[in-house]
Amino acid sequence: MSRRQLGFMLAPYAVGMVALVLLPAAATLMLAFADYDLVQPPQWTGAGNFTELAGDGIFRTALVNSLVFAAVAVPLRLLIALGLALLLHRRARGVGTARTAAALPTAVPEVAYGLLWLWLFNPLYGPINQLLRVGGENGLTALGRTPPQWLTDPTDARAAIIIMSLFTVGESFLVLLAARLVLPPEVYELAAVEDATGWDVFRRITLPLIAPVLGLLLVRDTILSFQVSFVPALVVTDGGPPPYATTYLSLFVYRNAFEYLRYGYAAAATMVMLVLTVAAVILQWRLLRRWR
Amino acid sequence: MRLRTVGAVAVVAVFLPPLLMLVAGSLREPGLPPPPGPQLVPDPLSTEGYIRAVDLGGLVRAGLNSTVVAAIAVPVSVLVASLAGFAMTQLPRRITAAVMAASLVALAAPATALLVPRFALFRVLGLTDTLAPLVAPALLATSPLYPLVFYVAFRALPADLYDACRLEDLSPLRTWWRVAMPLVRPVTAVVAALTFVLTWSNFLDPLVYIYDRDLFTLPLALRSLSTLDPTNFPVFLAGAVLTTIPPLVVFALAQRHALRHLRLHGYQET
Repeated sequence: MSRRQLGFMLAPYAVGMVALVLLPAAATLMLAFADYDLVQPPQWTGAGNFTELAGDGIFRTALVNSLVFAAVAVPLRLLIALGLALLLHRRARGVGTARTAAALPTAVPEVAYGLLWLWLFNPLYGPINQLLRVGGENGLTALGRTPPQWLTDPTDARAAIIIMSLFTVGESFLVLLAARLVLPPEVYELAAVEDATGWDVFRRITLPLIAPVLGLLLVRDTILSFQVSFVPALVVTDGGPPPYATTYLSLFVYRNAFEYLRYGYAAAATMVMLVLTVAAVILQWRLLRRWR
Repeated sequence: MRLRTVGAVAVVAVFLPPLLMLVAGSLREPGLPPPPGPQLVPDPLSTEGYIRAVDLGGLVRAGLNSTVVAAIAVPVSVLVASLAGFAMTQLPRRITAAVMAASLVALAAPATALLVPRFALFRVLGLTDTLAPLVAPALLATSPLYPLVFYVAFRALPADLYDACRLEDLSPLRTWWRVAMPLVRPVTAVVAALTFVLTWSNFLDPLVYIYDRDLFTLPLALRSLSTLDPTNFPVFLAGAVLTTIPPLVVFALAQRHALRHLRLHGYQET
């Protein structure tokens, strides 16, 4: 009786899990080996999608863009979150306000956040370049350089997407803050008695104690990095500037599926994305193990 | 102590300006040539952007749709998460481990990876271009993280409590609702707030499932407002402010609530 009731309590979540995650995941795996446009039944093509991907220049660009984004943004985001947590874990005047300020950008809906930066980055009348031009003449900065062409130069556009991702670290920040707050104060009192320097305390006490949380956040942020770049690339840079400077894997998948109706091809690209994620996670896990 | 305050001020000085600029940009008069230099307070101040955003973007209708979706999805999602979390504490270990493993896998799968087959599923069911696919993630507790959060919270309650309920012949459902839920109220509040923020901000799902303008939620209406006239910043920034206010308020409240709770439970801030 009670066992049946417990099963009933778990049922909605189990149904959601099967219908919205497990079955779709299995379907993605199968579609990756087929041509499918939602109208005609899938046509099996074996590894055809993958050989096409291997020769697709846009896919390769998207792949490199995603990897570079992950390699730069993930460590930076984690460092910022850790720095914020350590800076703001003690009570002092203004710390409460600072915590809220650091967490708030994360709560802004992605589209609104993207549109905000679309304006901030506008090369001509965006506030960022207006600020950079203060003190300079003829549209140059005070140092006599041209300000960055955020939305029209490939490198600047990639930098722009990374910069806007650095302000939304609220989630990692709050988790690290909580992790730091629950560390036993006695350890720190002992360190103070022994006259340990701030760096020593960080390296010998804080870092080892929050390393597991840090490791989890690293893995999670790596996985999310394939997703985080989607809305900015769609709303701010539209995958450009040409040729495909900010087309990331997520945008590549979206375009192929919902704009070109090539669901099989998109599924194959998704599989590559998943394999890469898993590989990155395993690699990080091993590195963390060795380092500990 | 002074040094920490300086640090706090620096953090505010870095993280607040983008949001301030969002508000400042929305208060410009649409159609005016851009000012020659940076301005924190626009001159002249104008709310014309808001009027046009609401008008052109159909934001009233979109706000209503967003509210309907959140009003259904958030309570359902929190219920699903807490029921599943509670069941996991009582079911045999094997089942719990399986649910946990599935949740972790689901957490790791990027949303874009499941988009295509989910879309096919809803199309077969004839539910595309309705609000149903936007409410559906509630069945999955919106994020598979939340059942795990409830599981941890329920497990942290003393084991004698559950034994006592069993002796009293309370059914699991009653134990959950009468005994366990009232004890984890702060967890429920935070999960509800985060669920609201995720649901309200959801852009990917409406982008894929909704074509009918009358069914647009706020993020989607905002996107179409910005593609309407991409150079008219004040108008779409005004729309962005309106879309942002509800989640921002809820998030700030939840954050204060959570940290206060952490403090109440003996974690002294040194």
